[in-house]
Amino acid sequence: MTTQEAAPLPAHLDPTTYPRTQHNAEQNIHLTLTYTPLDPTISLSQTASPAAGANVLFLGTTRDTFDGRAVSQLSYTAYPPLAFKTLAGIAEAAVATHQLLGVSIAHRLGTVPIGEASITIAVSAGHRAAAWRAGEEVLEACKAKAEIWKREEFVDGGMEWRANADRDSEGNLVKKEGS
Amino acid sequence: MASIPTPQETQQSGTFTIHYFASAAQYTTKDSERLPAPLPLARLFALLESRYPGIQEKVLCSCGVSVEGEYVDVGDDADARREIHVGEEVAVIPPVSSG
Repeated sequence: MTTQEAAPLPAHLDPTTYPRTQHNAEQNIHLTLTYTPLDPTISLSQTASPAAGANVLFLGTTRDTFDGRAVSQLSYTAYPPLAFKTLAGIAEAAVATHQLLGVSIAHRLGTVPIGEASITIAVSAGHRAAAWRAGEEVLEACKAKAEIWKREEFVDGGMEWRANADRDSEGNLVKKEGS
Repeated sequence: MASIPTPQETQQSGTFTIHYFASAAQYTTKDSERLPAPLPLARLFALLESRYPGIQEKVLCSCGVSVEGEYVDVGDDADARREIHVGEEVAVIPPVSSG
């Protein structure tokens, strides 16, 4: 009969196939997807340079509420074949636009306890204006495009997959056309 | 525990692999499965709708699709004429939420 069996756990959901990294030595770009806690010191050391006068580090940490509803835990999954391409494109664009000396983007997958970092971004540049701007641009581009998904489990029992397009950078609901 | 099929095994069984994420995985209640190949890309959503009634309107309408790590446009004539071949890897990509 043609009944299709569910495939075994695909490699991209198997934590033992991580951490996965991609390094572009020419542009000093470091990309990491990992199921273990993120270390911001590593992110900073990856982008450090004697030519850099400005080093910006962003940590995105998991929050205990969504719209006032208590969140018990969050988890993330990724599709690395697309996620690495997207992250590399974001980092390369930022290097070109802001003459960065280094970019590090690391995202944690699996369950991330409340208050721990789910994403770290570090950028370095000769001067602070470029580094500040690039840090924000890289983060916003990651949230808009990287093939990574967040699931929130609530204290009251429900769970929901999030879509970043529904919220702006201040956490406000984005009104969609026709709704 | 079953092992992950090698490309050769997938080849022999005349299927392609499709991966589901987030809302798509929730709707199908699976992360991954194998479906008969070859399949014209233009028929992918209709096939999924027949297996998971309602998925097109509730999930797929806001999803992207990739074949072998490249985005394809199922609504585009040129892309839709493409066939999904035996052994290829397809992914349904819902709106993302990293960070």
